[in-house]
Amino acid sequence: MMRPHRAAHRALWPALALAIGLGFVMALFLRPPAPLEAPRTAQENPR
Amino acid sequence: MSVGFQAVQWNRDKIVYDGVLFAGVALYIGAFMIIGSWTAPPKNAAEWIDLRIRALGTCAFLMLSLILSIGPLARIDRRFLPLLYNRRHFGVTLFFVAALHALSMLQWFYVQDALPNLVTELTDWPAYGKFIGFPFKTLGIAALLILLLLASTSHDYWLNFLTPPVWKALHMAVYVAYGLVVLHVALGVVQDDRHPAIPLMLGIAFATVTLLHLVAGRRERAMDRGVDADGEGWLAVGPPLSIPNKAARSVATPGGERIAVYRDDEKIGALTNVCAHQNGPIGEGRIIDGLVTCPWHGYQYRLEDGCAPPPFTEKLATYRVRIKDGVVEVDPRPLPPGTPATITLPSDKA
Repeated sequence: MMRPHRAAHRALWPALALAIGLGFVMALFLRPPAPLEAPRTAQENPR
Repeated sequence: MSVGFQAVQWNRDKIVYDGVLFAGVALYIGAFMIIGSWTAPPKNAAEWIDLRIRALGTCAFLMLSLILSIGPLARIDRRFLPLLYNRRHFGVTLFFVAALHALSMLQWFYVQDALPNLVTELTDWPAYGKFIGFPFKTLGIAALLILLLLASTSHDYWLNFLTPPVWKALHMAVYVAYGLVVLHVALGVVQDDRHPAIPLMLGIAFATVTLLHLVAGRRERAMDRGVDADGEGWLAVGPPLSIPNKAARSVATPGGERIAVYRDDEKIGALTNVCAHQNGPIGEGRIIDGLVTCPWHGYQYRLEDGCAPPPFTEKLATYRVRIKDGVVEVDPRPLPPGTPATITLPSDKA
């Protein structure tokens, strides 16, 4: 690897870790509560 | 070096690598399907397809996490270098697993005659303004397109055509794909499935890959700081015997590219640290069969003049070396590629 490529790696990873890590944690904590009723059928809950 | 197409050149190591890779993928998907169907037997075709979607999706995610770990692992510990040797086949296989995951998802809609639902979901424009409820499949599709681009340009033809720096920069898009995949899972299945295994797998894999890259980057930063040159502009490497025999020590000027200073018994020579093939770190390689060998893909060069042995035509820049006051020094101004520049140690120092 050449120097600019290594520098890009070093700059990219902390930013990526922060952005994606934050997105992951938010997705986990903001998800709606689990429904209490029986799971819906596949037709009612399209992927 | 030419940009003409050459078919993949197989050897025993590549066949073993691919064999282990394919067996691992088949084993994982098979085990996932068997255990999944045993613990929660699917009741209809859609549920079977759903199980397959999960098997392929988790397999693709773990493969991508592994692929992204290989680079930093190899820089932290040489024992992981063999994993790097055929990483491109790993990446192309990953693309096919991810593509099968996407095709299975299409099939899931198709068998339920619900393809219009998919279109509705992907074109629900107000949902793109939400965080929870974002059309997560779009993230997966974007990641798949990046993987397609990388898989289709993985051959050495494209490496030579684009040149290694451009090709490496293009292939850094895999990090963007990884981020998209993490969010695809976090905003998709994590929202619906309450089993803790999925966020645990996602979190541990992402944290591990990130940590490895940060640790490797920290080590590289220390080396890139470089050493100051003396009054004549030469860099001190160290006493001759501080350079391991048949291996190298790397030095760099502050802000400059690294130089690999090799010792082959009584012979000392310096080459650019940048391999002509894929810019691999020549200084982390070894002398094998009398030739400096790049640790990434085994490209070889003569220490004397930086030339690959015939019939190969690659050449590396060489550097002047000298011994001053018992210390090996290297002149950081490169000589034209292929210029002989080794020195021989006095017999009492070798």
